[in-house]
Amino acid sequence: MGVTARLEMGQGDRTAAVRGFLRRLLDSQAVGAVLVAQPLPRKRLRMPTLVTDPERLEGADPFSPCFAVNGARLAARLSRKPMGVRWAAVMRPCEVRAFIEMVKLKQAGTDEAVLISFDCPGAYPTREFLRTGGAETAGDTERFLRQAFSGEAPDPGLSPACRACEHPVPPFTDVHIGLLGGEAGTFLQIEGRTAAGEALIAAAALPPAEPLPSREAALGALIARRAAARDELFARTEAAVATIEGAAAYFADCLLCTNCRVACPVCTCRECVFATDVFEHDPFHVLRLAERGGLLKLPSDTLFFHLTRLAHMSTACVGCGQCSNACPQGIAVMEVFRTVARRTQQAFGYEAGRSLEDPPPLAVFREEEFTEAVGIPAAPAGGGGPGRTPGSEGGRG
Amino acid sequence: MKRRVGRAVVVGAGIAGIRAALDLAEVGYGVTLVDRAPHPTGLLGRLDSQFPTDRCGLCRMLPRIERDAASAHCLRRGFFHERIDLRLNTEVAAIEGEAGRLRVTLRRVSGGVDPERCVGCGRCAAVCPVETPDAFNAGLTLRKAIDRPSPHAFPDAYALDPEACTRCGACLEACPTGAIRLPGAERRSFRILVVDDELSVRDSLKEWLEAEGFSAAMAASGPEALAALEAESFHLMLLDIKMPGMEGVEVLERAKRMRPALDVVMMTAYATVETAVEAMKIGALDYLIKPFDVASLIPKVAERFERFAAAEDLPLTAAAVVLCGGSEGYDPLSGKNPFGYGALAGVLTQLEFERLLSGTGPTGGRLLRPRDRQPVGRIAWIQCVGSRDLQEGADFCASICCMASIKEALRAKAVAGAELEATIFSMDVRTPGKSFQRYRERAEELHGVRFVRARPHSVTRGPEGKGLRIRWVEAGGGCREESFDLVVLAVGRRPAPVVAEAAERLGLALNPWGFLVPEPFSLCRTAHPGILIGGTCGGMADIAETVIQASAAAAEASLRLHAAGGGAAEEEKPPAALSEHPAGEPPRILAVFCRCERSADAPALPDPVLHALRRDPEVAAVEPVAPLCTAEGRLGLAALLSRAGANRLLLGACRLLRHPSPLREIEEASGLPAGWIETADLALWAGETRPDAHDARFALQSGLVRLKNAEARETEAIPITRAALVVGGGVAGMTAALAVADHGVAVDLVEAADRLGGNLAWLTRTLEGHPVPSLREDLEARVKRHPRIRLHTRSRVVQAEGEVGSFVTLLEGPQGDVRRIEHGVVILATGGREAPVHGFGRGESPAVMTQAELERSLSAGTLEAAALEAVVMIQCAGSRREPRNYCSRVCCPTALRQIAALRERRPGLRAAVLYRDLMTPGFAETAFTRARQEGVLFIPYRPERPPEVRPAGRAAVVTVEEPILGRPLEIEAQLVVLAAGVVPTLPRELAEAYGARLDRDGFFEEADPKWRPVDGLKEGVFACGLALSPRTIPEAVATAQAAAVRALAILGRERLPSGRIVARIRRSLCSLCEQCIEACPYGARRLDPERRQVVVNPVMCQGCGACAAVCPNDAATLEGFSARQMFGVIEAALG
Repeated sequence: MGVTARLEMGQGDRTAAVRGFLRRLLDSQAVGAVLVAQPLPRKRLRMPTLVTDPERLEGADPFSPCFAVNGARLAARLSRKPMGVRWAAVMRPCEVRAFIEMVKLKQAGTDEAVLISFDCPGAYPTREFLRTGGAETAGDTERFLRQAFSGEAPDPGLSPACRACEHPVPPFTDVHIGLLGGEAGTFLQIEGRTAAGEALIAAAALPPAEPLPSREAALGALIARRAAARDELFARTEAAVATIEGAAAYFADCLLCTNCRVACPVCTCRECVFATDVFEHDPFHVLRLAERGGLLKLPSDTLFFHLTRLAHMSTACVGCGQCSNACPQGIAVMEVFRTVARRTQQAFGYEAGRSLEDPPPLAVFREEEFTEAVGIPAAPAGGGGPGRTPGSEGGRG
Repeated sequence: MKRRVGRAVVVGAGIAGIRAALDLAEVGYGVTLVDRAPHPTGLLGRLDSQFPTDRCGLCRMLPRIERDAASAHCLRRGFFHERIDLRLNTEVAAIEGEAGRLRVTLRRVSGGVDPERCVGCGRCAAVCPVETPDAFNAGLTLRKAIDRPSPHAFPDAYALDPEACTRCGACLEACPTGAIRLPGAERRSFRILVVDDELSVRDSLKEWLEAEGFSAAMAASGPEALAALEAESFHLMLLDIKMPGMEGVEVLERAKRMRPALDVVMMTAYATVETAVEAMKIGALDYLIKPFDVASLIPKVAERFERFAAAEDLPLTAAAVVLCGGSEGYDPLSGKNPFGYGALAGVLTQLEFERLLSGTGPTGGRLLRPRDRQPVGRIAWIQCVGSRDLQEGADFCASICCMASIKEALRAKAVAGAELEATIFSMDVRTPGKSFQRYRERAEELHGVRFVRARPHSVTRGPEGKGLRIRWVEAGGGCREESFDLVVLAVGRRPAPVVAEAAERLGLALNPWGFLVPEPFSLCRTAHPGILIGGTCGGMADIAETVIQASAAAAEASLRLHAAGGGAAEEEKPPAALSEHPAGEPPRILAVFCRCERSADAPALPDPVLHALRRDPEVAAVEPVAPLCTAEGRLGLAALLSRAGANRLLLGACRLLRHPSPLREIEEASGLPAGWIETADLALWAGETRPDAHDARFALQSGLVRLKNAEARETEAIPITRAALVVGGGVAGMTAALAVADHGVAVDLVEAADRLGGNLAWLTRTLEGHPVPSLREDLEARVKRHPRIRLHTRSRVVQAEGEVGSFVTLLEGPQGDVRRIEHGVVILATGGREAPVHGFGRGESPAVMTQAELERSLSAGTLEAAALEAVVMIQCAGSRREPRNYCSRVCCPTALRQIAALRERRPGLRAAVLYRDLMTPGFAETAFTRARQEGVLFIPYRPERPPEVRPAGRAAVVTVEEPILGRPLEIEAQLVVLAAGVVPTLPRELAEAYGARLDRDGFFEEADPKWRPVDGLKEGVFACGLALSPRTIPEAVATAQAAAVRALAILGRERLPSGRIVARIRRSLCSLCEQCIEACPYGARRLDPERRQVVVNPVMCQGCGACAAVCPNDAATLEGFSARQMFGVIEAALG
């Protein structure tokens, strides 16, 4: 399935071209609203906005290297119950992938929302963006895109998550806008990957196009460069947190403010278990803990908090880096989560955000897996043993 | 909680006995379950795994409904149900009376260990000088004459083997709790006083009596005797009449004044017989005429002893008795060809091999040859040793060994590695069950198990004494030999000895092989209405069929109980009122410790452990108490609690307290709800060492933290619509409807056709010769006149929803009218039919027809039998190959029966059966033998070369490859009958409407194919008859009765209580991700779309905790296993 179309670039400004596309969507009433990032009056950060008036798309700046919040969280809230109109969400690949996870965790819906993603150039950490001035205008964004897609070494100021992200294109989306390769030509390649996506391209009346070979090559090089950075990140982080002592030192400065979990798009709990009575320790209990070593660091449970969060969401982690962004103590949270998430997702043959069809690993029970961990050898006949099906009693022997 | 009046006795605590007892207990009746053995679970307790899961699943028999009535741990270890009185080491001494009012006398097996007193310290085994083959390990290891009966028994009481015990008494002295009674101790406690003036008489009597185990004291004169009677008590006096000084009669008079209860037997010479008769008038019981010998004395003494011993018997009144005596393995040494068993190392029986593979077996689960402990590379299984063998008087199939051997081959490969070579020698590989054929093929194709069709001649020692040589004759006639490291004999089965005893006592019929004979169309009824057959004493069956049969027996027994007035209910004591102990009350914990009085050297708790408790601000008091295994200790608890102002209780005791029955008494005595009492096993019994400080601390601290965070809540209950819906009016549906309705419960019976009967409409008779039409008429008449059954013919289910206790079904009637039915359970009895068949000349030759077509023309009389010269039966026409790769179980016996029926009409008719594996399990084998004797030709064919049929005028010519000749054989026959097999007719939408699932062949998918064979995974949904799997009429009847009794466990009450440990939802934390719904294996959770909440059905919830594990933020929690409790337990474990 899928169509490829061309989106004319005008003066070579990709942002303007996409604004035009979005405007056509609203104008044609293909969608009733568009979720897209833009700066607000007298503010420099780009924040997600829900735009209904085509005129108000003027400031839309979705490719700006500013990534203050993972929009999947917001898109999820907007899609969980009916809005009454079809609407489009312009999101980075990591946001789209997080949104997919949210759908599978029943926190988001796909009935009305149409996902529009783009070749992601990456972004600066929010503080870095504010400190350096970032991209003030749309013209700055275009300069940033040129630099990001130039094939040269990435700006070292870019967020570590983005530098190590091998998903500049999401595995699943409705519409994908190819920014890469646009420098050379006069148009952007735009794909409708699903029926909903095709419908938007049809509504915008975009002419068909052949896939750009130059884009494919550039994309391959970009992914290779980022994958190398990712592997370096894994190696470095694994060495740092391989032991409990290492991990404790890594998170030593944690205040248990839980900002990382608030910023995390796939932490879907209504309230974190660390904020409930489960962790309201009795004073006598705390005293006994202190007595063990004669000293107890407070707040306690900080490493436990991160380990628990890893246990809960590392199968769904998309590596967007908002946890690091949110940490007031400057702890490199993302590095640990990505490193662990790669392992947990590999273990289940799962990849966060890959598709709507793969069931979340923990909702599935398979009798014969991790036999080395559970200590039960596989049954030789492979017998009446059920496959990886949800909720089969056969597996709970 | 209510308990029904009435009691049944189940004899034999193997899986059939346990199943029957649990079913009756779940319906609400009291059950006394007796077994001679010291440990329940019979044969299955020794098997580590069963196919098709190749794991153990015994625990899946445990109740799901009202599950706290039973202890929910491993059934192999032992079991407990509050309405089952399990009496081990006990046998039935007598059964008298009629159904509804049977008088049953139970007697303890002589000698043994009192499980209530045994603390499992093992000192008895340590001092026992006798080593004897360990029955648990099938004799492959040794045990002491007093030892643990199985390595996993719980409570781990020891048991005494009376056969092996030499009565040396060493264990009596070693036992710290006085739990042991030596065998024959009863006789030793029967004290006899011999009074005679002649020394020689006294001496010989003393010798004779003591040799028989009695205690004998001597008196040489009357005064001496009276002095002895004054000093000690005696049970019997043997008194000489003619003595100097004081005559016997005077002694008798004075003795009777002193001890009126004393039994006296006079000893007299012939001359004084008249005096002896006089003596009887003043109280002597009997007399013996001198000179007498041991043979005349001992019976008289023994008779007196029997009366004395009978005082210890337990008399019971029961409405029904279910005999679950079971079977035992055939001993290869008893037969003409032992295949080297006993002589050659490495020749084993199946059971020995199972033990050899077991982790608790002689080699710790490694596959080594017994005796020389050599590794094993090649194993052969020889099937049908002592079964299907006329020479051994076993003209029946043991039904279980083929599948057991395949499973063992796979288990052996799992243990020793895939390169292990496994060969199974058999005449047929019998796979007459739903998943059996595919299991066999997986073994063959995926795992390389080799199947050889042969009956080996012998097993001999290999050249140079190495290996075991098997010789057999190949199909082509050639002789072949191969060497193996191990030979496993798939020995047949014989009824257990108790079966013959019971049959004789009750006048029940036995078949030629010693199994009980059930009544027509039943697997469990006997000629005696109060006596039912449970399990394999009525014929061999695999686990699933045994479980079904036992449930069917329970259904019949339940009916006897109901008929005897069992419907009336009496109130039981309500559980502790929670209102007295509001959940919000801060915990004030009383910690108590047993002071073990069983032995002087009972250890005490280490001080630091006690200190840690005392300083805990939530511990109100720490007190030692009298032993909690005694009533005294338990009764003191309430006073201690109120003195300490405590509202929760921590018990430090020994493992005896882990047994559910004392715990229940403590709950009652303390008045606290169950969740507010915790037990810590501190090894405070009279063990050898002080309790380990770390272990004791862990046990106490984890109990403490569980108590601190315990939330005792009222258990929930759901209302039950006391009505059943039965879908399908064939034999299974009608039987199920009647079995439920006969208990006074309303039934709606739905049948799509205009008349009841299903497949009974065209079947003529069973293999046993019972006419089917009369069964149909009988069932139909009973259904139609039953006041509790509403019959809906020409109706179908159009819509259904709901859960156990409250289903709503819409029925569409013949005129399109829709009826709404409310019911608490549903029984799917939608049946099956003959599979459609193509090929084999069907449609091309008028001579070719299916078994069903032949049956119809036989009963209609349209078949011209006289014109027949030859008939050919083609078995497995379309079945046992994909996509219908299962054996339909009924077609082979049907072919044999139809040949017999044809030959009745046309004597001398030539008949041939073309088959793959002839499936005549159980006593159907006899019909196979008879057919062979009567000259029916049986020709096996390979599935890749099926027989071909071509028309030849009115006849047809069948071509088949003859394996012995090795070339094609042509048979001209006027009749070719195709055995097409059975397909189910269970509509998927219907099953799914009730939350049931279908298997790949469209049959109902059971909750567990072995252990819950008529239950759906979703509670309250059952299936029976052909909807479940292909089966004969009596087998279908059994499934229907089984489904009925399982349904009655739900329908027997107005409200169904949940278990104590159920999942709950903290709604404020729930983000509705629904992962818990997916994770719940019991379908107990659903999203209520209106309230936008996840809801749990507390009765369907089994407390497994899968939801709590999958929920990230503790919104799904499990009562008693909250995060705080589990964290605390982990911390305690870490020390």
